[in-house]
Amino acid sequence: MNKRVLALLMTGVMLAGVLTGCGGSSAGSNQSASNTEASADGEVTLKVFSNLPDRKNGQGLVEQMIIDDYMAENPNVKIEVEALDEEAYKTKFKAYAMDGMPDVVSIWGQPSFLDEVLDAGVLAELNEDDYKDYGFIAGSLEGFKKDGKLYGLPRNTDVQLIYYNQKMFDDNGWSVPTTYDELLKLVGDIKAAGIAPIAMDGGDGWPMATFLTDIMVKVAGTDYAKSVSDSVAAGNFDTPEFKQSVEVLKQLVDAGAFQTGYDAQDYGTAMNLFTNGQAAMFAMGSWECSMAKNEDIPEDIRTNIRAFTFPVIVGGKGGANDIAAWNGGGYAVAADSAVKDEAIKFLNYMYQPDKLSKYGWENGVGMSAQDQTSYLTGDETELQLSVMDMVKNATSVSGTPINDCGPATFKTVMESEIQGVSNGSESIDDFIKAIGEACK
Amino acid sequence: MRKLYSNKKVILSLVAPGLLVFICAILAPICLSVYYGFTDYSGMGTPKFIGLQNYVELFHDAAFGRSLFNSFLLALGFIFIQHPIAIVVAAVLDKIGGKAESFFRCVYFIPNVISVAVIAYLWKFIYNPDFGLLNNILHAFGVKESVNFLSQQTAIYAVLVVLIWHGFGWGMLIYYTGIKNIDPVLYEAAAVDGAGWWTTFFHVTLPLMKPVIQINVTMAIISALKQMETVYLLTGGGPANSTQFAANYLYQQAFKAFRYGYGNAIGVVFIALCVAVTVILNTVFKEKEV
Repeated sequence: MNKRVLALLMTGVMLAGVLTGCGGSSAGSNQSASNTEASADGEVTLKVFSNLPDRKNGQGLVEQMIIDDYMAENPNVKIEVEALDEEAYKTKFKAYAMDGMPDVVSIWGQPSFLDEVLDAGVLAELNEDDYKDYGFIAGSLEGFKKDGKLYGLPRNTDVQLIYYNQKMFDDNGWSVPTTYDELLKLVGDIKAAGIAPIAMDGGDGWPMATFLTDIMVKVAGTDYAKSVSDSVAAGNFDTPEFKQSVEVLKQLVDAGAFQTGYDAQDYGTAMNLFTNGQAAMFAMGSWECSMAKNEDIPEDIRTNIRAFTFPVIVGGKGGANDIAAWNGGGYAVAADSAVKDEAIKFLNYMYQPDKLSKYGWENGVGMSAQDQTSYLTGDETELQLSVMDMVKNATSVSGTPINDCGPATFKTVMESEIQGVSNGSESIDDFIKAIGEACK
Repeated sequence: MRKLYSNKKVILSLVAPGLLVFICAILAPICLSVYYGFTDYSGMGTPKFIGLQNYVELFHDAAFGRSLFNSFLLALGFIFIQHPIAIVVAAVLDKIGGKAESFFRCVYFIPNVISVAVIAYLWKFIYNPDFGLLNNILHAFGVKESVNFLSQQTAIYAVLVVLIWHGFGWGMLIYYTGIKNIDPVLYEAAAVDGAGWWTTFFHVTLPLMKPVIQINVTMAIISALKQMETVYLLTGGGPANSTQFAANYLYQQAFKAFRYGYGNAIGVVFIALCVAVTVILNTVFKEKEV
């Protein structure tokens, strides 16, 4: 009898262990929910979920500076930051979408990300009239709207660039190409000198897609956005302008424009090739302008980095000042935030022109989506100034890069298949067919 | 005591904890996966029931086909390259004895101790066409052109080499323990009968290792199907899906392409495949034992 009692007791203990195991997690989630609520004495905790894990450099530093400023000015507000890099960020964003978003989150104002997010209704609507005096560049808010309502604000203006090493160009007598034919010839010359012409992060897929966007802007000119959105809507990319753009990309690869094994190399490897002087050019967005201020890069390279956009293609509709640029990343507030008012207040604080724009400019992280002309300090790098001029002199800007124009499936298929079409394992027609089908 | 154990309530209470864990952690998620596999759920919002559409698409999905083919290649690589070498090395180690034995045992196991992330980046650098070790060796032998080991055509073999090399230590260690468990008397008897090293290996060691080989083969096939981390870090399944594996593809679809429903359909097929393979292997090995 005693043994029986003992056995029952033991089982009871085991069951209790299992049950508390389950109970523990639910208690945990309760706690996280109550964390975001304002307590009685006016203490507010804001949770910021960011895609900038590096808090000591570049954009992440700027974000952290603003957060510190805000906490200093509002002693009753405590801001907790959780930061993950882009891919991990997007994964966790979805998990949060299912059981409660942090109050302020990073987002991307592009259909491939925002469509699903807005359908799920997890972001709070913002009042567009609040931002009349914030100096947002015309059209920069469009990607963050749905049915005319605003759900987020853009952080940057990104320009697709080809960075080059001015000193290396001068030493070898090379000059910046003004036409596509000149670029092809330049590629040949650089290759003959035993240097990789353009460092390309082909392992990730998206940098090649943004590069293709720049090509297509030169082929289709101001028709770019309409052509792409029509193609996405119809699930058919068999248009002359798109086909020609892919052909140009293919031709460049065949001419040896990218480093050997570009289609398997990552961001850091490609960038290192350029910053170590093993590649003459580097195809990437304007957010890498901070290379010119990065002390880790040897000085004779760092100070000689300049940039140009894809040269004009003979017969193409795009001119030299039609550029591939867009307003991608940004911030939004969670719809079910318990401290929504404070969160929107903080969001607006970040976008006061003397915060994100000013700090960003001073730290050389590239251009904000707002008017920055009043923050010129006089010690900008030449690279920064030249990119600013490109935007200022632009006759048209492309908007969303091609891979982000369609649903998320289209994005993943495109970024994978573009490796195949560029390295020749897939024909251009098959590529066009595959990405068309991914839109349906 | 016997009375206690024949009480149904006691039996239930003893089985319940394990059963609960199984239901909560394995069965329920699988059932949820089956459910989501029939929907177009994006991971957010409300799922819509779409019947067998995901499975129909999966059947035509070239990337998924490629990932199964790659798993198959990897399993072949494990069974016909990694394991024969592992058995021979284990047998040789067993013969060496002394300090050398423990030294080499350690050395061969080292890759398994290093984290997968380190392994993946190590090999990324070894394969790099510009500064990689392999290309530098080739250059030293007078080859001018840099070889791109991770190209569309060769990447899968480059990945197989890494995986086979990485898993080698485990296989070898299990074989080594198996060999150590063989009664030394048998070897003495063989030696008395005048059997040489190879004869002893083929007629004494190998037959007695059969159960160990069976376990190792089953584990190799399952791990070939489950392959994810190394590929994710080394190539991300690229270029153009040429090194895609099912688990990595599942991750990409569910979490990058916002296709949670489709990802779950892949998961369901994946589970079915693993179960089928295990059942088939078990029956094959059982028949042999009889």
